[in-house]
Amino acid sequence: MIWALLVVWLVLIALNDVRWLRVAQREHYEPGRVSRFAWRWGIVGVGLPLHGSRPGPLAWTRRLRTLAVVTAIIEVALLLAVWPIVVLVLAPFLVDLAVFITAPLERRLAGRWVGDATRRLNSVRPTVVAITGSYGKTSTKVYVGHLVATARSVVATPGSFNNRLGLARSINEHLVPGTEVFVAEMGTYGPGEVRDLCSWLPPKIAAITAIGPVHLERFGSEDRTLAAKAEILERAEVAVLNVDDARLAALAPAVDIRVVGVHATDPLVDLAPPTAAATNVAVAIAIARELGVGDDVIAAQLPTLPVPAHRLTETMSDKGFAILDDTFNANPAGTRHALAALARHSGAGSKVLVTPGMYELGPRQAEENASFTRDAASVATHIVVVGRTNRAALLAGAEAGGALEVTAVRNRNAAVAWVRAHLGPGDVVLYVNDQPDHYP
Amino acid sequence: MKPGVIFGGPSPEHDISVLTGLQALRALGDALPIYWAKTGELFEVDADLEGADFAAGTPAKARPVRLVTGEGLLGKRDKPLDVSALVNCCHGGPGEDGSLQGALDLAGVRYTGPTVAGAALGMDKLAFGDVVVAAGMTSLPRTVLTEAGSVDFAGPYIVKPRYGGSSIGVEPVADIDTARARLGANVHLRAGAIIEPYKADSADLNIAVRMYPHVELSAIERPQRTQSDGTILDYRDKYVGGEGMASAPREVPADIPDALAERIRRDALAIATLAGVRGIARIDFLLDGDDLYVNEINTIPGSLSKHLWVEPPVAFAQLLADMLAEADARPTVHYTTAGADGTALRSAGTIASKLG
Repeated sequence: MIWALLVVWLVLIALNDVRWLRVAQREHYEPGRVSRFAWRWGIVGVGLPLHGSRPGPLAWTRRLRTLAVVTAIIEVALLLAVWPIVVLVLAPFLVDLAVFITAPLERRLAGRWVGDATRRLNSVRPTVVAITGSYGKTSTKVYVGHLVATARSVVATPGSFNNRLGLARSINEHLVPGTEVFVAEMGTYGPGEVRDLCSWLPPKIAAITAIGPVHLERFGSEDRTLAAKAEILERAEVAVLNVDDARLAALAPAVDIRVVGVHATDPLVDLAPPTAAATNVAVAIAIARELGVGDDVIAAQLPTLPVPAHRLTETMSDKGFAILDDTFNANPAGTRHALAALARHSGAGSKVLVTPGMYELGPRQAEENASFTRDAASVATHIVVVGRTNRAALLAGAEAGGALEVTAVRNRNAAVAWVRAHLGPGDVVLYVNDQPDHYP
Repeated sequence: MKPGVIFGGPSPEHDISVLTGLQALRALGDALPIYWAKTGELFEVDADLEGADFAAGTPAKARPVRLVTGEGLLGKRDKPLDVSALVNCCHGGPGEDGSLQGALDLAGVRYTGPTVAGAALGMDKLAFGDVVVAAGMTSLPRTVLTEAGSVDFAGPYIVKPRYGGSSIGVEPVADIDTARARLGANVHLRAGAIIEPYKADSADLNIAVRMYPHVELSAIERPQRTQSDGTILDYRDKYVGGEGMASAPREVPADIPDALAERIRRDALAIATLAGVRGIARIDFLLDGDDLYVNEINTIPGSLSKHLWVEPPVAFAQLLADMLAEADARPTVHYTTAGADGTALRSAGTIASKLG
């Protein structure tokens, strides 16, 4: 009897652990993050679904397995001393403790990868292009790769490999001898990170796509965001700045290297597919020019620019309605771009917006989400609000904008079911952002 | 000891080299597959892999191998691999331009195909053309294309990478200004480009040659142009949608007049000696009306030109066995230190006095 009870407890603890391990993975194994989520969703994670699926099924990577084993060891040791319920309640903190314990090991493993990448960089010696910005980094990187592909041997790995480990992986797997240009996307969650990346991978050409309220929860303010992104210019010879962005326009005169100011009105931009964000295209064009690629070559490549997956890509459903998929992530500028695409869409029927809103905007999260649905109300005939995290703000915004019809659903599956039940030929649905599974 | 097969390599022809390598492995039966990754590393891989297993990069279960000067190929814990000689199936890039050959020479590993010198000459279209012309044969006028230089023959032209094969990067252009503009716009021309007259109505005629166990010529083939607009035999014509060069559409033996065939055979034999053919080389000619031009030599041709040996038929396994025997019988290295007996050193005095 007692044994059966113990087995039940162990199963409960294991299931609960998976939930918190998932949060650790989603939060890039940053020590302390799991505990923060525990405060947010309740110690036992009442608000957090047990089964995760966004942004993808839980991937049992080598790193996650190590973390799971260390967590289990801590918990078994603890079970000898305290009641199982205590272990269950403390799980998020124990996962965090395991993150902390495994950090030195992970740093050593990463060091080996980075060492290999450094050796490869030193032997191949490509011209490095570094791109940062609050959004548009990955698209711009892919665009640069495409624009110069026929004229230069270039590596611009798809996917958002934007930290040291990700870049090291790109280098190890793709930087073949003879590569002339390496396009690196550099992401940052705080001051010093981009500087650190640039000291390892010094760019010749550095570009900033845009500054916006993304990851404000971690940066604190947009001024601090700008300062962190501007670190990319410190070692570069040329700065490519999107000067349509007021903060970057203000930054330009203060930069002591050559600055190429970029406007979305560059006439070449019109040759790109309309779903590609004009500023990203313009920045990519400027970078290609700096690499010595002629306008004729750039113009020939622009019409076939690959629109990255889940970034406002259009498909047709089997039921005959159009789907605009902008679920990669969302930010205020991106949502405006997406709404413009919805407004522009030729569909004669309903225009439906499905969104869980935007995340990690810190103090401005409610305000930005409300503003999003307020704007959407004048474009969409129907707004479907997904999940609970931003529900109140999104509903308030939709009401303020005078939206015709608003529905709130629990999760994306429910939203998709709603859409398939209500839409048909001539209708169009715009999915903006996806619900990460640690934000219900 | 068993033979090894090396294939892949950091080259635009990496993929087609994988196909040639796998064909050679199947024909040899018991051989050690050495895969040269696009990123430059060497690996020992399983012999039963298919082409698709290499499509996304190095296969999962690949074991790292190191090539070390004086020591050869080293596997796990630096244990030497038990390889008698390597069948070189690398097309284009450092596997066919003398780089791999030099590394294998210094490591003391025997291999099939061209030596350093033969590979380097075969890879340089300009040097090869000059050698052919100097020996009294006919080649199209051919010169280096630069931003500023001029050309003393009339257009239209064809622009080609100076080094490389497989028609990759080859472009017909109307005039010299367009040709110059392609220099900055075509990634394949970055290492150097040549320009020659474009003969729109010319036909390709190819012949393979080997020197071991005795000098022997294959049948003459006329490849068919099926894809694109038929202007030049392109990479797709040759390789995409089949098992590589061996399945490309062609006429073998080509239906051509005896006198023409005789001239091709005579030129091919002369070139085989001039270019120091080792293993199997394919020599490509252009026929424009009645004019025959030597075009280029391919020192490690796709599928090792196994499909050309039809009159009399020679099986691929036999061709490979002969190449391996040649690797043994005709060494690539002839280093000598004769003359470096210290006399010059003893009589030189101090370096300082030399400098004074």
